[in-house]
Amino acid sequence: MSKSIMRMMYFPVSVIAIYVVVFAIAPDRAFLAVKGSWIILSKVIIPLGLVFVLMTALNIFLKPSSIAGFLGKGAGVKGVIFSMSAGIISTGPIYAWYPMLKELKEKGAGYSSIAVFINSRAVKPFLLPVMISYFGYLYVTVLTVFTITGSLAAGYLTGVLTEEKESD
Amino acid sequence: MKIAVSSDGLDLNAKVGFRFGRSKYFIIVDYDTMEFEAVENPGASSQQGSGAQAVVLVISKKADTVLTGYCSPTAIGHLTSKNIQVVDGVKGTVGQAVQMYKTGLAQKQSGSKFMPEKKYNKINRAVLVNALRISARQFVRLLPVLIGVVLLIGLFNSFMSKELLSSVFSGNIAKDTFFGACLGSIFAGNPINSYVIGGGLLKYEISMFAVTALIISWVTVGIVQLPAEITALGKKFALTRNVVSFFLSLVIAVFTVLTVNIIGG
Repeated sequence: MSKSIMRMMYFPVSVIAIYVVVFAIAPDRAFLAVKGSWIILSKVIIPLGLVFVLMTALNIFLKPSSIAGFLGKGAGVKGVIFSMSAGIISTGPIYAWYPMLKELKEKGAGYSSIAVFINSRAVKPFLLPVMISYFGYLYVTVLTVFTITGSLAAGYLTGVLTEEKESD
Repeated sequence: MKIAVSSDGLDLNAKVGFRFGRSKYFIIVDYDTMEFEAVENPGASSQQGSGAQAVVLVISKKADTVLTGYCSPTAIGHLTSKNIQVVDGVKGTVGQAVQMYKTGLAQKQSGSKFMPEKKYNKINRAVLVNALRISARQFVRLLPVLIGVVLLIGLFNSFMSKELLSSVFSGNIAKDTFFGACLGSIFAGNPINSYVIGGGLLKYEISMFAVTALIISWVTVGIVQLPAEITALGKKFALTRNVVSFFLSLVIAVFTVLTVNIIGG
């Protein structure tokens, strides 16, 4: 078993270990917990199916090399809009993107664009079905609008607080 | 002219490695003399960044062309930006691949068509298969943690009482929102988990402000991955961005919930 799989299993295995202890101490509560977990899981299964389809579509059409090109251009409103769009449609954990962001930085991408990219990742188009199933359309729509606005604000503030000082 | 071929073995009789980043070796072949050098791919056993390591290796060996089974769009982007040609969909042994490339190149130079349109179909199929594989891998990685979170919420629900939760979330909107943002900053992983946790907290009548701050800071603030962000982008940038994002998660939470309340009535 590879290290990453082992690491991935620490958490669920720890939870199962807690369950074993709870079953021994308070079986009634443990049964209640399993029942409750099943209800939560059944609520998420259908949206997860849709998530898989959307993830596959993004993996087909998303070309990280072209994203690199857009972000690399960096400057101006266009660069910010590209960074935001790239962040929204990017998938996978953020640390997988760090090497590319590092290279872009070395190629002259602005700190603002990089911050916008990272923060706009909070908008997850392929997870929207799950989010809507929990919080409803109105909340998700409003949150998405403010998250996008917030990512632009984060980019601007980070840019002002870092780049200007660096250029001194 | 040098040709780098991803390979499962150390000589020209070895099979062409299917995945560019994951192949065990690269055989660097001199186009004219067919002399070759076998180099180990340092990324073959890496969990992450294998493609990047293979790209660096190929560039450092001053190869002009890469022959491989499948190469990700990211790696292709990096290689072509260095004027390195990438030919994927290549099968057979390393020696055969180079000979076929030579023949094709010779045909191309003499004016006949090398690599007919059929190749595009092959690439598309490979992209589709690879996309499905990536999605499946992302999904498989997501599931154990998600199931762990769901089980933990189940446990939490069976033991947690309103009284206990209200001792943590006092009902003071400012404090609760701040605490929600702190929780989101500490936790990491797929945001789907934050939705499940947020949904669970709402059942205990925890304020929507706190839940929203948790959901936003979950993705935008990363204490766990801070060392990686510092390494990649510098201390000043990483710290500034995380601090800014923390406070923005509070602002976004307030604006979001107030707007929803106004529109929703």
